[in-house]
Amino acid sequence: MSNSVISVIYRFLEEYRTKTSNKLKVVDAYLFYILLTGALQFLYCLLVGTFPFNSFLAGFISCVGAFILGVCLRIQINPDNKGDFLSISQERAFADFLLAHTVLHLVVINFIG
Amino acid sequence: MIYLNIIGVDMAQPRVFCLVLLTVALGAQALTPSHHLSLSDVERLKGLLSQPFTDLASAYYSIVGLSKLGASVADENDACQFLKAQLDPMSVDSLFFAAEASQAISDCEMPVSNETRDILLAAVSEDSTVTQIFRAVSALSSLGLPLASQEVVAALIARIAKEDNVLAITTALQTATRLSQQAELGGILEEIEDLAARLDDLGGVYLQFEEGLEATALFVTAAYTLSDHADTEPPLKEDQVIQLANSVFSKKSWDSRSEAFSVACAAAALSSNRFHVPVIVSTQGPATVSHSQPILHLLVTDILSNPLASASVLVESAQAVASKSVVLSQAPFSLRDGIFELNFMASQPASGYYQFAVVVTGDSRLVANQVELKVKVSTEVAITNMDLSVVDKDQSIGTKTSRVDYPFKAKGSFTADSHQNFAMTFQLVDVNTGVELTPHQVFSFSCVNILMFLLSFCQHCIVLHLLRVFCFSFQTFVRFHNQKTGQEVVFVAEPDGKNLYKFELDTAERKSEFDSMSGTYVLHLIVGDATLENPILWNVADVVLKFLDEEAPAAIQSKTLYMPKPDIQHLFREPEKKPPTVVSNTFTALVLSPFLLLLILWFKLGANISNFSLSPSSVLFHVGHACMLGLMYVYWTHLNMFQTLKYLAIIGSLTFLAGNRMLAQKAVKRLASK
Repeated sequence: MSNSVISVIYRFLEEYRTKTSNKLKVVDAYLFYILLTGALQFLYCLLVGTFPFNSFLAGFISCVGAFILGVCLRIQINPDNKGDFLSISQERAFADFLLAHTVLHLVVINFIG
Repeated sequence: MIYLNIIGVDMAQPRVFCLVLLTVALGAQALTPSHHLSLSDVERLKGLLSQPFTDLASAYYSIVGLSKLGASVADENDACQFLKAQLDPMSVDSLFFAAEASQAISDCEMPVSNETRDILLAAVSEDSTVTQIFRAVSALSSLGLPLASQEVVAALIARIAKEDNVLAITTALQTATRLSQQAELGGILEEIEDLAARLDDLGGVYLQFEEGLEATALFVTAAYTLSDHADTEPPLKEDQVIQLANSVFSKKSWDSRSEAFSVACAAAALSSNRFHVPVIVSTQGPATVSHSQPILHLLVTDILSNPLASASVLVESAQAVASKSVVLSQAPFSLRDGIFELNFMASQPASGYYQFAVVVTGDSRLVANQVELKVKVSTEVAITNMDLSVVDKDQSIGTKTSRVDYPFKAKGSFTADSHQNFAMTFQLVDVNTGVELTPHQVFSFSCVNILMFLLSFCQHCIVLHLLRVFCFSFQTFVRFHNQKTGQEVVFVAEPDGKNLYKFELDTAERKSEFDSMSGTYVLHLIVGDATLENPILWNVADVVLKFLDEEAPAAIQSKTLYMPKPDIQHLFREPEKKPPTVVSNTFTALVLSPFLLLLILWFKLGANISNFSLSPSSVLFHVGHACMLGLMYVYWTHLNMFQTLKYLAIIGSLTFLAGNRMLAQKAVKRLASK
């Protein structure tokens, strides 16, 4: 069983390496970074405690929000999905990404205390 | 040791008594005077009027005022000389004062000339003021000069129409008293009623003019003098007369000679007119009878405290307040040395309060001659059959009863611990009649003081008996006093059906009152009532009480009840525990580390900024975006949401425009290269 899992993972990584464009990989790296940051914040909260709780929430939700927005960007600029987003060009997706981030940051900074 | 005086509040002053009388009578029948001139008031009035006079007006007030009170000036000859010296034969006022004053002094004649007569007659006309007319008419009448009454009446009526104030009309009434009885005084007599309608009623007790005391007193004088002169009853009801008397005689020290004069005139008018004479009934001393003082003394006087010679006083009924039984009916008072006496104890009343309805007859002029009095019959009490015992709760051991006689103390001390009860029984007996004293005897207000005092010590037991106190019953208190700690606990001994007073102390049940302090308590019995002449404070015995689970610190509690309590320090909210700085620093570094990873990954992927065009829009866009991020930081540290939104709007719109342009250029480039 483990054999097939490993082989699937290996196959996945190979396909990823070859098939995805560089642009998407850049975004993926960014997403990975966001993920790590969020996970580390959560780990801190588990280990040390929730004080100050509002700051933890602000940070964690910032990571979660940024991740989601990143994912949206990735979906929208993936050329394979062009059929679904006919009216949204890549630049438009990026502009939306920036705007959403502005709002997210406003809320997060307000809550961070 | 605190001694409780339980003698009732007796009413020593007749004036206070009259006030109580008034409050009782107001609810019941007609009004009775609440104020009059006592003998000391009359002396004070005479004293004020006897002060040396400096001019004719003050001489007039003094001489005439004193004569109204039945007294005279110190030196009559001197006064007469003074009048003659000060007289100004050209002035109507001067002639008036001198003439009136000289009339009051015997053997004092003022010189009269034709000129005097002419001046005075000239003053009697419609063009002079009422006061001028009055003074002229009075002077003419006192000097024995003839005057035309009808002309005066016409002038007065004309003046009254013009000067429609209280003082003017009163003066007109006074003027009419000096005219001949054949003159038409009807029109002026009607003014009395009109003027009486202008009086202000204050609480149903006082009737006075808003112009003040002097105006009211002068009105009373004028009304009665004129009514006597015209032989017509004044149109004033009995209640109004009493209210007027209350107003005039309520003030006991007078500001000026003229005010004193007006009061003296009013007093004389009310005590000797032909129609209404208010009668004042008061007791001589407190309204109390007892075996040692069985006679009730009544003073029946007029408003000037002169005894009424021809009066006869009768008790219509004497009713016990508590039981409402009539003890006396239609009993006359006998007159001795000007004081009316009745031996009330001869009817053998039980002790308590009695409501007397007294009627004064003998003169049809008497007003307010039906009076209600509250008379107290007091007695002496003796405590008999005082038995103290210590009873075992399970009654296995027989009770040990000791009899104690008043005023001695029990020989041994009594010990009671938690298994025993301490009991006391006794009877209260009237010394004179031997009758047992029962509860429901009228109580006095002084017990409220005792109640307030006791409530601070013993909450449970007394609160239960509060109801009884307000039901006015005979109170007996049993007081335990710990000499060492100063504690005092007071209980009430209640009578049972057979009038035997009982008190039982259950040591275990009552330990909270004693704060569980064991020790020797001195026992006192306190008996008191308003109708008792000899309240009793009797040190009966010493009682040793033993309580279980003694708590010593409780002894201080009662003393610190009224001491300042310890200060309360405000506890500010404790800040939450923070993790050590090392830990938080470590994690900060840890959380920031993925950024490095990101940069490495990007570098590895070959992400670069070679495509960065230096067009103004892209520069502006990046600068604007950086500013927005900087604004976020500033928002975190300094600003509030509103300010941030303001700046964000400005920077954001710039960034948007620049970004829009830049991205459009990029899109064009991308599509062109495709």
